[in-house]
Amino acid sequence: MRRPFPARPRGGHATLRRRQGAGTTWEVRTFLIVSAAICALFLLVVLYLSQATAVATRGYETQRLEQVRDELRRQNALLAVESARLDSPARIETEARRLGLVRAAAVQVVQAEPIAAKR
Amino acid sequence: MTEGISPGRLRVLFALFAVATLLLSLRVGYWQTIGRSALLTGAEDQLRSDLVVEAQRGVIRDRTGAVLATTVDLRSLYAIPKRIPDRAEAAAKLAPILATPAATIRAALDSGAEWLYLKRRLPEPVARAVEALAIPGLGFEAEPKRLYPNDNVGAHVLGFVNDDGVGQYGVEGAYDTVLRGVPGRLTVERDPKDRELAVGLRTAVPAKNGADLVLTIDLVVQTAAERALRQAMEREKAPSGSIIVLDPRDGAILALASWPTFDPSRVAAADPEALRDRAVSWTFEPGSTMKAVTIAAGIDKHVVTPTTTYDDKGYAVIGGRRLNNAQGKVYGTTTVTQILERSANAGAVFVASKLGQDPLYQYLRAFGFGDATGVDLAAEATGAVRPLAQWYPVDVGTIAFGQGIAITPLQLAMAYAAIANGGTLYRPYVVAATRGADGEHRTVPVAVRSPITPETADTLRTMLVSSVDRGISHGASLTGYTVAGKTGTAQIPSDDGRYVDDAYVSSFAGFAPASDPRFVAVVVLERPQSKLLGTVTAMNTFHDLALDVLRNARIQPDRP
Repeated sequence: MRRPFPARPRGGHATLRRRQGAGTTWEVRTFLIVSAAICALFLLVVLYLSQATAVATRGYETQRLEQVRDELRRQNALLAVESARLDSPARIETEARRLGLVRAAAVQVVQAEPIAAKR
Repeated sequence: MTEGISPGRLRVLFALFAVATLLLSLRVGYWQTIGRSALLTGAEDQLRSDLVVEAQRGVIRDRTGAVLATTVDLRSLYAIPKRIPDRAEAAAKLAPILATPAATIRAALDSGAEWLYLKRRLPEPVARAVEALAIPGLGFEAEPKRLYPNDNVGAHVLGFVNDDGVGQYGVEGAYDTVLRGVPGRLTVERDPKDRELAVGLRTAVPAKNGADLVLTIDLVVQTAAERALRQAMEREKAPSGSIIVLDPRDGAILALASWPTFDPSRVAAADPEALRDRAVSWTFEPGSTMKAVTIAAGIDKHVVTPTTTYDDKGYAVIGGRRLNNAQGKVYGTTTVTQILERSANAGAVFVASKLGQDPLYQYLRAFGFGDATGVDLAAEATGAVRPLAQWYPVDVGTIAFGQGIAITPLQLAMAYAAIANGGTLYRPYVVAATRGADGEHRTVPVAVRSPITPETADTLRTMLVSSVDRGISHGASLTGYTVAGKTGTAQIPSDDGRYVDDAYVSSFAGFAPASDPRFVAVVVLERPQSKLLGTVTAMNTFHDLALDVLRNARIQPDRP
């Protein structure tokens, strides 16, 4: 009796390969998704840290600039005081005396009305 | 390996671990629950700083905008001695810059203090010179300092600010709450280098800076007044004196000088008596300058006119007492105008007798004597006009020529201002405006009352011009201007109720141009060396000052 050929499984190797291929794709896909998630998370963390560092750096820079501004304001105030001191009538009088200047004995005032009336 | 260990030992070991774990867990649990707040507070204390943000004190300016007082942060030099590598060398380098002996600096550095100020509020050039030395362990801290760019000019008007930042005397004292402002608070988190964390907590209540003040004072007139007063003091070797210049049209004070004076930046070195503003806080018996007030009352009450005459015998008898003219002079028939020209005491008694004590008292009070003028300066004196019930009959006569009554120079200036402006007594003021965050608030002049009518004031102006043109006040006359004024020489009361021998207060009160008065000036000199002739110095001082005021204000001459 002739042994019948064993029945060819349906699908055969192609199905198995497909199944094997499907399993690989799933694992790869999972791996890729997880990797991508980890990368994204890493990038987010790096982004956050870089932002936080940038904010802190800007904060320190702002403080430095505020100190520069305050110092400039202080210098400006000191210059205003010095300007007022130099403009002081008492100082100008003293300097004038030192230069040998004397006060005008009389100031000639011309009355404008009579002159205007003659014109 | 554990075969050699007995189960009993293992149990003990396990029990120990279990107990230790339990204890640690309980401790951790405690710090996470009950002790949490204490931990947080400790952490916050290390991280947070809670600062008071000082408000900037307002600037004081004169009527033209010139700075009279301002606050600037100056640098104070501190040292951390442990960080200074060579203290002896540091002290030697600092000594010439700080103008302090090296030994003193060395002693401070070796005092054992961990941190100390070497010198506070350094002038900027000195701070820069110290900074250039770059000595480790030295540092600067900014501290506010009140600066007065005109040194001691206007010291008594301005007052000063003490080490606690509180204004005293003058407008610094009277307007301290306005100038000082309200401090703020700043809470921030800091890193170990004491820098603010940009992403940390930051809460701030901003400081509200003090308002700026604009004064009625004119710096040029103030300088002229102080120069004139200083020269008079030096000439007369007088211990004290004062000058007031004000605008009779609204009571605005243009200048207020008092001697002795002080530097508001160096109050610690000042004589306490120098801090007293003698124009406002000191009283004196005015003498003959009061005759103008007595005669104004007589004319206003219609008991005399400028041409009313009396027979001057050189004295007047009142209340059983004989009151003499100065130096016993006899003038014969004298008009009321000539009473001012000759400064006749008997004439003033004549007018007061016709007026009566009750009206005289009422007019004195109406002119503001015996009451504070209400000027916006600290420590104003009221003077003394005794109640009528305490008057002796002779007081009508003595008060008529300015003895037996105590007034301040400012009260005298305001009375003359009332005569100058047509009869209105104003409240004097020195602050013209306050400028703050909510805008500018200007002071409105306050007319207190009208002690005399405009007609009486006009008559008095003419009589006072005559006093300068033809009378003993002639030294105050100015070419091209009508000047009205009156001299005053008064004895000084002593503590025993008598008068001090041969010591006087000399004064002059006047205004110009008399046709349209733009300023009133009062000069008072206490105990001038030239005794009775001190009045001449007072008159000359008025003359020089008036010339400066008229030139500075570009006031046109009112007579050929």
